[in-house]
Amino acid sequence: MQLGDARVGKMADNIVGFARTLRRAGFPMDSERISVALESALLIGLEDKQDFRAALEATMVCRQQDREVFDQLFDAYFRNPELTQQLLAQMLPKTTEAAPSPKRRARTQEALAAITANNSRAKVEEDSIDFDAAMTASAQVRLRHADFESLSASEFKLVQRLACEIPLSWPRVPARRTQRSRSGARVDWAHTLRESARLNGELLSLPYLARRTQALPVLILIDVSGSMERYARLMLAFLHQSTRGLARSVYAFGNQLTDLNSAFRHADSDEMLATANQLIQDFAGGTQIGHSLAQLRLTQHRQLIGRRTVVLLITDGLDTGEPSALAQELAWLKRNCRSLLWLNPLLRFEHYAPSAGGASVLKKYADGMLAIHDLAHLEDLAQSLAELVKQ
Amino acid sequence: MLQQSVGSVQALTEALASVGYLAERRLATAVYLSSTLQRPLLLEGEPGVGKTELAKALSKVLQRPLVRLQCYDGMEQREALYEWNHAAQLMHMRAQQDRATPEQLEHAIYQEKYLLRRPMLQALQTPAPGAVLLIDEVDRADAPFEAFLLEYLGEYQVSIPELGTVRAQIPPVTILTSNRTRDLNDAVKRRCLYHWMDYPDRERELSIVRQSVPQASDALAQQVASFIERLRSAPFANALSRSPGIAESVEWAKALVALNTLQLDPEVVQSTVGILFKQREDLAALEPMLEALLAPTPDA
Repeated sequence: MQLGDARVGKMADNIVGFARTLRRAGFPMDSERISVALESALLIGLEDKQDFRAALEATMVCRQQDREVFDQLFDAYFRNPELTQQLLAQMLPKTTEAAPSPKRRARTQEALAAITANNSRAKVEEDSIDFDAAMTASAQVRLRHADFESLSASEFKLVQRLACEIPLSWPRVPARRTQRSRSGARVDWAHTLRESARLNGELLSLPYLARRTQALPVLILIDVSGSMERYARLMLAFLHQSTRGLARSVYAFGNQLTDLNSAFRHADSDEMLATANQLIQDFAGGTQIGHSLAQLRLTQHRQLIGRRTVVLLITDGLDTGEPSALAQELAWLKRNCRSLLWLNPLLRFEHYAPSAGGASVLKKYADGMLAIHDLAHLEDLAQSLAELVKQ
Repeated sequence: MLQQSVGSVQALTEALASVGYLAERRLATAVYLSSTLQRPLLLEGEPGVGKTELAKALSKVLQRPLVRLQCYDGMEQREALYEWNHAAQLMHMRAQQDRATPEQLEHAIYQEKYLLRRPMLQALQTPAPGAVLLIDEVDRADAPFEAFLLEYLGEYQVSIPELGTVRAQIPPVTILTSNRTRDLNDAVKRRCLYHWMDYPDRERELSIVRQSVPQASDALAQQVASFIERLRSAPFANALSRSPGIAESVEWAKALVALNTLQLDPEVVQSTVGILFKQREDLAALEPMLEALLAPTPDA
């Protein structure tokens, strides 16, 4: 190492500054990572810029999607640190915009709105129910069976809230891991011997190992075209809460496929919906299920984990694409998942039959069709899921 | 232990090349840092870009034995680390039952001779010059297993309740690979250096094919490299669910040599394409593109 102490000091400053810049760009960066980066930079030296870059990359980047940002920031920073600030500002429109105006969460706003409404005692007699107080039993019964499409705006909000509280016991299957139990296929020898060593070699009982259970992973594909707008919002809110803790992936489709996984990482349903709104470019547009599924197959096929995934396809089946293309994609999807379930809001019509182009194809490939147009049916969903997935 | 690693990035690149692994400079830098700083190296990338091969090559270069832990769903400590030899313990206990006190008995059956060493423990206890530990496809194991790895990755030690802590005398050179079927926990990533492995460029691919299939004529190797390079780039790659990796292109070149092919044409591609693609949709998508894929390069 030819570098003297002074230059090391300068280099250290620069690397720490660079690390802080990366942190602002959303890289996970702690002091340990920085110290490893410093150590690596010392080892590699500054003679070769590419080596130096590779050393910093190996220590500071830990996700494939960050690599491009790293490259840009590296170029900018080690040529002109001030340029980096501008670049950062360009890259992070959200953080610079969001910071000065902290918005109230939708839930807070609603809560505040409810208080003011109470105080001023709204004079208009609404024929819909109050939503700020506890509901009466009859209102609850009515709402449970009210079609989502027929709700007023305030009722819709309330139903959305209620939907989030519906529990969904997701189907579980035996996992490969085991746990101690009273019965099972294998003897827990490790435990048996530990016990009997204490008892002077006597085997008094034989504990067994039984397989643990695990919830099946879920892939949610939700139609956000015009005809589905209301159901989509509600189902997103419902599934966001009820599939919490499961291995899940979420995609919206209309004319194209949108990755909603980042939105679903929010804990709060309102925030999730707000982010989803921003992400989805074609909300309330047309529907091309086949095309969207092809995109899924080509770009995201890894999301279908080991054929155990339960796919929830939420759509009314009003597809404007080519039925043969849809059939081909559905056949692929069905081959790669455990169950393909079609959640169809059109089942609200008593004499509905999936006879239109897209719907008949969906009917052919889906393992089951479930109704989701009111709260009562959402509550039944868990039961129906368990039955269908067992097959 | 520094002297166990290779002196510089350049020396490492050359040493890897001498055992048949052509590493690009970025990768060599990451590997050099990983072995010098004694940090595990996490390699991510598409299947077939040479992640596992790197560990094998490294074990040859460093002349350390390769210990491989293939991960799978539901893997437990007893498959990765250690297990007691219960049958032997039981026999010992029966034999000594009337002659020893319970304390003696308990002490006797938890000796190292009853310990069955699984890959991670083997790697930790490998005497000088130490081992290369390959934790392959770590994304296939589940999240609890990742948590279990943390102690090893951070400290090169593991705790066995009956024996105490086992610390590595010489930290194994540790390579983790992942195909990114899911994202790994940040805690694991924090303890590792990271390298994303891309498909190689045409020149490197050509060198690899030439080296692995020396029987292939120069023209054929060139054609194979160009064909594969086009397959992996737009617009062709967009129509395929998976691009072929290096392993596949080498296999393909071998197959072409076995068929005495001198020059690629649509017919011979059609009859051997099963080596490159294993999905019916991809085979169907390939057919209309064949002509464009086989068109001669402007500079050739």
